Amino acid sequence: MSQPFVRLQGIKRRFGLIQALSGADLDLYSGEVHGVLGANGAGKSTLFNVLGGLVSPDSGGIEVEGSSVKLRSPRDAWARGIGLVHQHFTLVPALTVRDNLRLGVRGHSLTAAVAAAEAKMERTGLRVPLEANVSELGVGDRQRTEILKALLRDPQVLILDEPTAVLTPEEADGLFSVLKDLARDGRAVALVAHKLDEVLAVSDRLTVIRAGRSVMTAPRSQVSVRELVAEMIGDGIADEVAMGGQAGSSSDSVAVGTVQVPGGASAASPSTERGRMVVASLVGVYADRLKDVKLEVRAGEIRGIAGVEGNGQHDLALILSGRKSPSLGLANIPKEVAFIPQDRHAEGLVADFDLTENVALALSRMAEFGSRVMMPWGVLRGEAERIRAQFEVVAPSVETRAQLLSGGNQQRVIIGRELALKAPMLVAENPTRGLDVAATSYVHGELLKLASEGVAIVLISTDLNEVLRLADRVSVMTKGRMVEVSESQKTREGVGALMLGGGEASN
Amino acid sequence: MSQVELALFLESAVRLGIPLALAAMGETITERSGVINIGIEGSIIAGALGGSLGAIAFGGAGLGVAFGALTGLLVAFVFAVFAIGLGADQIITGTAVTIGGLGMTGALYQVVFGVNGMELSVPMLAPAAIPWLSDIPVIGSALFAQAPTAYFAYVMAPLAWYVLFKTAWGLELRATGEAPVAAEAAGVRVRAVRFSATLFGGAMAGIAGAHLALAHAGAFAENMSAGKGFIAIAVVALGRWNPIIVLFAALFFGGASALQFLLQALGFDLAYQIFLAFPYILTLAALAGWVGKSQAPAALALPWEPNR
Amino acid sequence: MTLGVAAVLLMLGGYDPVQAAAAMLRGSVGSWNTFVSITLVRAVPLLFAGLAVALAFRAGVWNIGAEGQLYVGAVAGVWVALTFTDLPGPFLVTSALTASVVAGGAWALVPALMKLRLGIGEVITTILMNFVGIYLAAWMVHGPLQERRGVFPQTDRIVDAARLPELISGTRLHLGFALALVLAGMLAFVLQRTRFGFHLRAVGASPAAAVVAGRIDTNRVILLTFLASGAIAGLAGGVEVTGLTYALYEDLSDGWGYTAIAVALLGGLRPGGVIVTAIFFGALQAGAGAMQRDAGIPAAWVDVVEALVILAVLGLDRIRAARVGHHAGEEAL
Repeated sequence: MSQPFVRLQGIKRRFGLIQALSGADLDLYSGEVHGVLGANGAGKSTLFNVLGGLVSPDSGGIEVEGSSVKLRSPRDAWARGIGLVHQHFTLVPALTVRDNLRLGVRGHSLTAAVAAAEAKMERTGLRVPLEANVSELGVGDRQRTEILKALLRDPQVLILDEPTAVLTPEEADGLFSVLKDLARDGRAVALVAHKLDEVLAVSDRLTVIRAGRSVMTAPRSQVSVRELVAEMIGDGIADEVAMGGQAGSSSDSVAVGTVQVPGGASAASPSTERGRMVVASLVGVYADRLKDVKLEVRAGEIRGIAGVEGNGQHDLALILSGRKSPSLGLANIPKEVAFIPQDRHAEGLVADFDLTENVALALSRMAEFGSRVMMPWGVLRGEAERIRAQFEVVAPSVETRAQLLSGGNQQRVIIGRELALKAPMLVAENPTRGLDVAATSYVHGELLKLASEGVAIVLISTDLNEVLRLADRVSVMTKGRMVEVSESQKTREGVGALMLGGGEASN
Repeated sequence: MSQVELALFLESAVRLGIPLALAAMGETITERSGVINIGIEGSIIAGALGGSLGAIAFGGAGLGVAFGALTGLLVAFVFAVFAIGLGADQIITGTAVTIGGLGMTGALYQVVFGVNGMELSVPMLAPAAIPWLSDIPVIGSALFAQAPTAYFAYVMAPLAWYVLFKTAWGLELRATGEAPVAAEAAGVRVRAVRFSATLFGGAMAGIAGAHLALAHAGAFAENMSAGKGFIAIAVVALGRWNPIIVLFAALFFGGASALQFLLQALGFDLAYQIFLAFPYILTLAALAGWVGKSQAPAALALPWEPNR
Repeated sequence: MTLGVAAVLLMLGGYDPVQAAAAMLRGSVGSWNTFVSITLVRAVPLLFAGLAVALAFRAGVWNIGAEGQLYVGAVAGVWVALTFTDLPGPFLVTSALTASVVAGGAWALVPALMKLRLGIGEVITTILMNFVGIYLAAWMVHGPLQERRGVFPQTDRIVDAARLPELISGTRLHLGFALALVLAGMLAFVLQRTRFGFHLRAVGASPAAAVVAGRIDTNRVILLTFLASGAIAGLAGGVEVTGLTYALYEDLSDGWGYTAIAVALLGGLRPGGVIVTAIFFGALQAGAGAMQRDAGIPAAWVDVVEALVILAVLGLDRIRAARVGHHAGEEAL
């Protein structure tokens, strides 16, 4: 092949204690779609952010069309023809879709930009309401806006980080055909996607990243799924655990069938749960994003809630865990509910607090940890030590600040802390997002163990496989409403149809 | 109340409101970029001294105003280096710049004019009545027989509004203040935008200060800004971060300040200090009445660091 | 570096920096008596107001209103001291200080409610309340509380029973300094050891985590912190009038409420640090007086030095932060 349009060589980047990239290479050729695979946390996003000018590498070289360049900002990247569609939305909520589309684009008139947007929309099937404020859009519309924004700038290289997570299958297919068209037009496309089969279907070439390093690059036609998965996981879980719980594979790899979770949903059959105590119930509950939700959670069961992101699950999690009151309806929940929030950084932990203080955040509510006035730091410190040891949190000491830990270790702290509450119910919201294989199977194991001890568990997840594998009963959330899945529908296809049947969230 | 009294009231309302309007309009642009600069008090006092010195040195009030704008901008530059360049806390930096601006002008004034502050004789910025318009009964003389800086404020309000809401630069500015990460990702130079918006705010505050010295007092006096920078920040909120509403909010505050003359003329016997406090109380009440949290730029006062 | 910049500025101003520095040192730490009677005495209101600001900032409450709270505290203290003159000594002064605490808290209640109920930022409202408080005090000394002859804009001097005793005999240092140190100790204890202090720090560090992980009632924490901060700033005014001036003046405070922001931040928002920076700023102000007296250098220069010190500390802090390296974070971001 000729010279690549973009070449990344030996890229290294460290964040605090975490070596996110430790020598990653990536070549992107014009005219091809390049799939980048790797466990979550392997470094794919960081690598893409380096390409997009969002993150500067500590060392390593970037070449565009054969000449060495520095990408100090997204502006630099755009100037080189490199466009990044982010995993996390980077739209301005207070502005309209149209304003967001033309933001940062100089030299186009407003009408020209709108006309171009409409033409693109027509061609790609990515339709968005141009005059709506982004804050009013659902996640699907936001994602479509992000993609359009990148397409409008006519990049030579388009990089997409998880673009399909919130799209329906039809929309994802539409996007993939756009990407293939782009490649046919002589552009380079690079893609990270949630689902392995999607990447395999659309890519011409593949690169596997593991633990911050590129371990394999090959044309799609020359590798098997089994080989790819083996490369993604490496010699085994031990490696990754050894490097300090450094982020790793998500449940995607569970989908591929590489990880065996002890136990399994089949352990608790539906018949045995009848007659168990109802621990929590919601009747006719309304909130910002919830409509007439009815739910009953029994002791010892794992109640799975599936759904595409942004359909009201977060409101549901906050109400079930007693962090929020419904605007209407009846919520009968235990006085104390353990809660694993989706957003570890913002809601689960205080980044500036050390481990002891983060443990105290929840445990100080318990009567056995002191009076109403004083903080029994000695006891709490001991408890933090116990959690650090028992849950194998990799941290120099309990005086380490939470922000210095890797995602998996942060999650261990949260789980250890919440379990110590000994609450009759646990609400877990996407508890394995961004965790490596080891950490994921660890979390799953803890959930199953807890259920067997009689704790009522609500598992809210956008990962359908996770829900199907662990949950005794499954419901689906679409547009703020909840639909219970009958036993016969409890298959990937059945639940998937329900998830998409209501379409994705639009409010 | 006679028409004469009303006209006098309106005239003083506009006169007291104009420096606030100038400073608040600049601060509106600054805050729209996500920067709250409480150091504009320092820019105002610097503009007052710079305006006076400039007017003396160049022998003309017009050049004095320009020099005042430049000194105000310089003070804002110091703020910007720390708050934007280094990402230091905006409130603290603003406090330091205000303290330093007040001290520096006081000290320089005494250096130049002696410890007792020999009375300065400064070329005044004379009111310039606009033909026809100033003849409109009651409001004519109030609005159109003011110093030229007042007309500058009238022109700046729609101009700033247009730039803010109708141009690509205004879009980038608003995006920067709402979501700097998103703006950067779209290719906007967040720091450059914030820097220039802050310098513009400083220059406007400098003009406000020059107006105080050249159009109101005809002299520089230590601490003559008297907290106008702080009030301007309240006026920005009252004006919902919209330059045109900000102009009216400043005139509203000016009117509240001018009430003392009107009420005294009408025979109300209230203590002078209560009249002085009145505009602040009224502003608090007005804020409580119609400004919501959602109006402020979402990233206001949050430091931002590029390229982690 | 700060000193260098200050020296250059002074030279540009036509002064001798060495002479200025000498006068400055002589006037602040030149002798035991200077240090105690001038520097420490100057530090007292900065100490109280600095603690007030530090406490609020730790909870993420941007109380810029210490100046106004200080003035209403002084008004309330003087009013009680002048009105209930029949009360026996300790009771009268205690009542006066209690009144200043209540008044300062009440002054903070307005912006607190505007923040919690209406969502209006406290930076703006506390600044506006400052002006109202200052004019309230001005009205008092020109009107209802003006001294008997009605000549000067000040109140009558308060009776002996309403005065704080001196702390070290033969100096002007009064019991207020000891009170401030005790208060600093109490605040440090509250922040580190008590549940409320822990909640306060959590709300300041991460309001979302405080609610979700800690199930903390953030509105309650913010309200109580705001009131406590206002009360302490009010006490600054009360202590000043009962400990030093024995009367209320129109310009009682030399912008202490604003200097307190610098004191609090340079003290790292920790009570112990605030003690150090308050004394440092006290020394600066004491030295400024001597500089003006002995070297003929306008006191305004000390504000310049103050500003330079704040900027230098801010700058060094940021540069150090940048050296430590990139933010720690997660790869997925």
